[in-house]
Amino acid sequence: MRTLLRFIQKYSDLLLFLLLEIIAVILIVQSSHYQRSKLINFNRQLTGYVYSKVDGAREYLSLKEVNQQLANENLELRNKLDLISNELDTALVFSELRGEQRYFFVPSRVVKNSVYDQYNYMTLNKGKKDGVFRDMGVISDRGLVGIVLESSANFATVIPIINRNFRLSAKIKSNNYAGILQWEGPSPRSAVLSEIPFHVSFAEGDTILTSGFSSIFPEGIKVGVIESFSLERGNFYDIKVSLFTEFQSLYHVNVIRNYRQEEQLNLENLYP
Amino acid sequence: MYIITRNIFRFAVVVLFQVLVMDNVMINGYMIPYVYLLFILLMPFETPRWLQLLAGFGLGLTIDLFSHTLGMHTAATVLAAFARSYMLDLLAPRDGYDPDSFPRIHYFGFYWFLKYTLVIVFIHHLALFYLEVFQLKEFLSTLLRVILSTLLSASTIVLSQYFVFRK
Repeated sequence: MRTLLRFIQKYSDLLLFLLLEIIAVILIVQSSHYQRSKLINFNRQLTGYVYSKVDGAREYLSLKEVNQQLANENLELRNKLDLISNELDTALVFSELRGEQRYFFVPSRVVKNSVYDQYNYMTLNKGKKDGVFRDMGVISDRGLVGIVLESSANFATVIPIINRNFRLSAKIKSNNYAGILQWEGPSPRSAVLSEIPFHVSFAEGDTILTSGFSSIFPEGIKVGVIESFSLERGNFYDIKVSLFTEFQSLYHVNVIRNYRQEEQLNLENLYP
Repeated sequence: MYIITRNIFRFAVVVLFQVLVMDNVMINGYMIPYVYLLFILLMPFETPRWLQLLAGFGLGLTIDLFSHTLGMHTAATVLAAFARSYMLDLLAPRDGYDPDSFPRIHYFGFYWFLKYTLVIVFIHHLALFYLEVFQLKEFLSTLLRVILSTLLSASTIVLSQYFVFRK
């Protein structure tokens, strides 16, 4: 026993060396595929942090170059845009697939707009020549704008959401309950959704979409988000909706033409 | 105490330098200068052997974690740490090492340090490269890689003595 202890004492360093080497060799040889992948995964978390920092620095150093590239690309796109913008303004996008296609968008520009009246109207630079007729929907890239009231050969007047005569069916995205969207002034940034019954649950920040119940708009065009709501009128909520479309700065809009609108209206009018 | 913190700091610097800089330096596609051995080389003379071994183990394992080569650097570095104490005995001056000195060019001169570095690095690379291929089929080509890499690593380490770890 004593000789063994003395032996261990004498060769303790050698034994430690052998032990460590054995551990290392076991690590090399024995680590199964599973353990290896586990360990590599752990490594990734550990070392990934370090490497991501370095990568961040590298990215930061190349920012100038990237910026330059983007600026060049921007310039190029701007030039191309300028080349085609004149044509775009007047182009009538005509589709051969009229039979298949249900909705057709006519790009158009707002040429006159009022925002701060109680009965606001706007005028578009597309009319009957371009296929814009009354009761067509108008949207912007942000969301709902309004409905075409009347059109002449080259122009159309639109009754936007921010007009006291505006009425449209709209729904809450989270639960599909539909109500009537209208405007009671005076701010061009918000409208009112009414006739949502009191038992429906929703929250501030929920999105309001078009319901698609009318033949004017397809379903799911964005209208706005719920800003606040109250139950003052008894069984129905009054929901204040913050509108997505900014009417003060509205410029490019699309008129929606529904190829099946006529068919749908004719059918619905059979049984008044 | 000062020596301990200094060595811990050096450990971190050496690992980061190896992983972030040197592992991106690939000469001829397969020669990487392994400068992290500097930590083993520069440990004070009076470091106990078991501590040298454990330090080698820790260093190798850390490098392994970063390079996804489980155990290879560990085995090679433990071997290098083990060889170091014998190498120092072999290279010792007649009256032993001065307690205030460190294993550096600054104290023992260029040739002493070059010999010391070359041997330790060669042992380390020999173990590392053969463990990496894990067969004797390509014995000669691996040996060539060992020798070339040893020259590369050793010259980098010696150069570092003039620029970074001067004292």
